Amino acid sequence: MDYIQKKSKKMMKQLVLFLSLISLVFLTACGGSGGSSNKGDKTMYIGMVNPPASFNPINSSDIAAQYAERFMFDSFLDMTSALEFKPKLADSIDTTDNQTYTIKLNPKAKWSDGQSITADDVVFTFNLIANPKTETHVGGNLSPLQGLDGAGKLPAGQTTIPGLKTVDEHTVEFKTQKPVDPNYVKEMIGTKVITLPEHVLKDVAPDKLAEDPFMIKPNVTSGPYKFVKYSKNQYVQYVSNDKYYLGKPKIKNMYIKIMPAPNLVAQLQSGEIQMNASFGIGDITFQDLDTVKKLSNVNTSVEKQIGFQTMQFNTKTIKDAKVRQAFVYAINRQQIVDKLLKGQGEIVDGPYTSLNPYLDKSIKPIPYDPNKAKQMLKDAGFDFNKTINFVVPIGNKIREDSANIIAENLKAVGVKVKTTTYDFPTIMQKGKAGDFDILLIGFTMNLDPDLSSLYAPGGTYNFMGYDNPENTDLLKQGKSEPDATKRKEIYNKLQNLWEKDMPVITLYSMKEIVAVSKNVTHGGPKPFGTQYDLQDWDLKSK
Amino acid sequence: MFQYIIRRILIAIPVLFGVTVFTFFVINMAPGNPVDMYVNPSATPQQIALAKEQLGLNDPLWVQYGHWLGQLFQGNLGFSYSTREPVTSMLIERLGPTLLLMGTSLIVAYLIAIPLGILSATRQYSWIDYLTTGFSFLGVSIPHFFLGLGAIYIFASKLELLPTGGMNTLGGTTGFGDTFFHMILPVLVLATGIAGNMVRYVRSSMIDVLGKDYLRTARAKGLRNFIVTNKHALRNALIPIITIIGMDIPLLIGGAVVTEQVFQWPGLGQLTIQSIGSRDYSALMALNLIAAIAVLVSNLLTDVVYSIVDPRIKYE
Repeated sequence: MDYIQKKSKKMMKQLVLFLSLISLVFLTACGGSGGSSNKGDKTMYIGMVNPPASFNPINSSDIAAQYAERFMFDSFLDMTSALEFKPKLADSIDTTDNQTYTIKLNPKAKWSDGQSITADDVVFTFNLIANPKTETHVGGNLSPLQGLDGAGKLPAGQTTIPGLKTVDEHTVEFKTQKPVDPNYVKEMIGTKVITLPEHVLKDVAPDKLAEDPFMIKPNVTSGPYKFVKYSKNQYVQYVSNDKYYLGKPKIKNMYIKIMPAPNLVAQLQSGEIQMNASFGIGDITFQDLDTVKKLSNVNTSVEKQIGFQTMQFNTKTIKDAKVRQAFVYAINRQQIVDKLLKGQGEIVDGPYTSLNPYLDKSIKPIPYDPNKAKQMLKDAGFDFNKTINFVVPIGNKIREDSANIIAENLKAVGVKVKTTTYDFPTIMQKGKAGDFDILLIGFTMNLDPDLSSLYAPGGTYNFMGYDNPENTDLLKQGKSEPDATKRKEIYNKLQNLWEKDMPVITLYSMKEIVAVSKNVTHGGPKPFGTQYDLQDWDLKSK
Repeated sequence: MFQYIIRRILIAIPVLFGVTVFTFFVINMAPGNPVDMYVNPSATPQQIALAKEQLGLNDPLWVQYGHWLGQLFQGNLGFSYSTREPVTSMLIERLGPTLLLMGTSLIVAYLIAIPLGILSATRQYSWIDYLTTGFSFLGVSIPHFFLGLGAIYIFASKLELLPTGGMNTLGGTTGFGDTFFHMILPVLVLATGIAGNMVRYVRSSMIDVLGKDYLRTARAKGLRNFIVTNKHALRNALIPIITIIGMDIPLLIGGAVVTEQVFQWPGLGQLTIQSIGSRDYSALMALNLIAAIAVLVSNLLTDVVYSIVDPRIKYE
C-alpha cells in the first residue's frame, strides 16, 4: 500500500513537472527573435481585418491576398483613377489594330535576386496560366487571347499560346481572337496578371505549382518590398527591396497587422497602426466613424468605391417584372443608408457606382413609395398569401441589419416574408439551386463594364435565372466591341433594360472610411491605385 | 496492465476509422463547396468547372475518401483547399500556441480549483464556502466571449496595462516576457471557466468522502486534521476529479474556439472556424482526426491513472 502510494505520488509529480516543462518549451519556441532593425529605420503598420489565404500571385481570389501580394509583386500597369493607366513593370501596353498587343517592359526591372525581368518571364507566366493543369484565378483574364477557351485555358496537351512571342528582351507580343477594347486589356491583363520568375519556377510541374513553397513564402519577387514572414492571422512582415527599379523605398520595415474590425480604431489612436487597409479588407465600422473623426492624430476621409450590395430576385418564382419593380418601390433604401451607414452610402439601381464611367446618369434610382408599390402589386395580381423566401448571408453586419429593414418594408405593403440566414458557402449552393425568392449578395467587380458573370444566362452569379435574349445579345456585343464610345452606348441600353426587367437591384454602395495617421507624409488607401507608388510612402522622421 | 493498454489501442483503430468515415461524409453533406469561396466574382462558369475538376471535387465521394485515406497511410494529410498549403504544416504552426494557452490555463485552473474546493468542502456552509460556490457559479455561467471582451475593455482599453490580443508584439522586443503578457488575459478568461467547473466537483466529491467512516477512524486514531483531509480524503475524492481532468485534456488540442477568436490567438480553434467558413475539407478532416485521437488517448490515460490512484481498480 505504502509502496503504491509513493509510486503514484512520484508519477503525479512527474506529470506536473512534465506539463510545466511542455509549456516552458512552447513559450521559448514561440518567443524567437523579432529580426534586426537599425535605429533610424522607418517602420509602418497597416491594419487589416481579412487574413490573406496565400501569396500565389496567379491564384489568389481573395482581395486580402491580392493586396498583400502587391507589396512584393508588380503588375504591368496600375490604374490610378478610373481607366487611367500608369506604367509600372511595363512602360506601356499598346495596340494598333485592337487585336495585336505589345507589352514593353521597363528595361531596368529586376527580380529581388538581381536577375533582369525579361520578356521570357512574361511568356512563361502567360503559358503557365493557360496550361490546363495550372490552378489559377486569372484564367478568365486571358480568355480573349488566341487559342484559349472561356476559362483561359489551352486544349489538353498544348503548353504554348499561339501568337504569343518575345520580340526582344523586353518586348512581348500577343494576339486576341477578336478585336478587344484596349482598356479591357489594360485593366484585365495590365493591372491583374502578375509576372512570375521563370528561373525560379521553370522546373515546377504546373499541377504542383499551387502547392509549391514559393506560393506560401515567395523568395524572389519584383516589387518594392520583400517577403520576410507571415505569422498566420497576426501579421505579414516585409522589408524594403533597396534595389527596386522604381527607386529605393523610403520605409524600411512594412507590416500588415491582422485584427478584428473593432480594434482598428483603438490601434489608430494608440499609434500601433498608421492606417487601415480599408476597401473591403480593413473596414472601420460606421459606428466608429464619429470616434475616428475626433482622433487628433489621424486624418479621416470617406471614399466612394465600386463594390455594391444587391438584392437578387428569383425570376423563376417571381416571374412578373412589375412585381419585382413593386418590391423595389417598397424598400426604403435611403433609410438603410441613413440608419446603417450614417449616410455614407450611394444609391444606384444598377451595378455601376458613380466612380464608374459606364454609369448611365440619366437613370434616376427608383424612389421609396409604398403606396405605389401596393397599387402595383394589386394591379399585377400578386398573391398576398404567398410567403416570400428571403435568404441572407451572414458575415456582413450591415447587410444582415439591412435585411431586417427590407423585411419590415415588404411586410408594410402586405407581402409575407420569411427571412433565413446562412453562411456564405450555403448561400452559394442555395443560389445555384434557385432555392430562394429574394437573396442578398454583394460584389466588387472590375471597372470594365462586362458583367456577364452576373447577368448572362449560366453566369456564375446569375442566381436570378435571368434569361432575356435581348440582354444576352447586348452583353455579347458589349464584350466584343473594341470602341469605347460604342461600348458606352451598348451598356446604356443594357442599364435601361435591366431597369425594366429588374432581375436584380443594387441596394447601396457603401462608402469606405479611410483613416491615416498624421505621421504619414505620403501614402494611404485610395479607391484606385493604392499601391501604385509604395516606394514613395513615407513617415515623419522622429 | 500492459496487455490492457495494447488492447485499448487496437480497439481505437476501428473507432478512428469510423470517425473519419463519419466526419468525411458529414462535412461533404454541408451545403456549398471549397470552390465557392475560392474563385473571384468575375470568374467564368468554365473557370469554376475547371477549378472543381482540378481539386478533384467531381469524383464520387467514396473515391475522394479513398484518396484521402491512401494519403493518410503515407503520413500525408493533404493540401488545404483554401491556402494550398500542406495541412501538416498548418497544424504544426497552430498546435504550439494552442498547447501553450490551454496547458497554462488548465494548470492555473487546477491550482486554483483544487485547494479552493477542498477548503470549501471542509468549511461547508461557512462564508468561504458560499463565496467559493458563488464565484464558481459565476465562472461557469458567464460566457467566455463576454468575459473576454470585458477583460479587454478594462485591462487593455481603459487601464492600458495589457495587450488587446495576439501572441507577440510586432517589431518590438519579443520573447518569453512578451508572450507572457499576451497570455495573461486569455488564460484568465479560460481558467475562470475551467476552475469554476472544477471547484464544484472537488467540493462535492470531498464532502462525500469526508463523511465516510474510515475518516472518522483516522481522526479517532489521532491523525492531524491536515493529513486526514489532504492525504486520506483527497486521494479517495480524486476518482471523479480525474474523470473531469480526462475530459478537459482534449480541450488542449481542440483549442478554445471562442476565446482564441476574441483574443486573436493564432491557435487551432481559430483555424477550425476559418476552415468551416471556407469548407476546407482537408483541414477539417485533419482537425477532426486530431481531436478524435486526443479524446481516445486521454480516455486511456484516465483509466490508467484510476488504477494508480485507487489500487482496487485493476485491469486484466
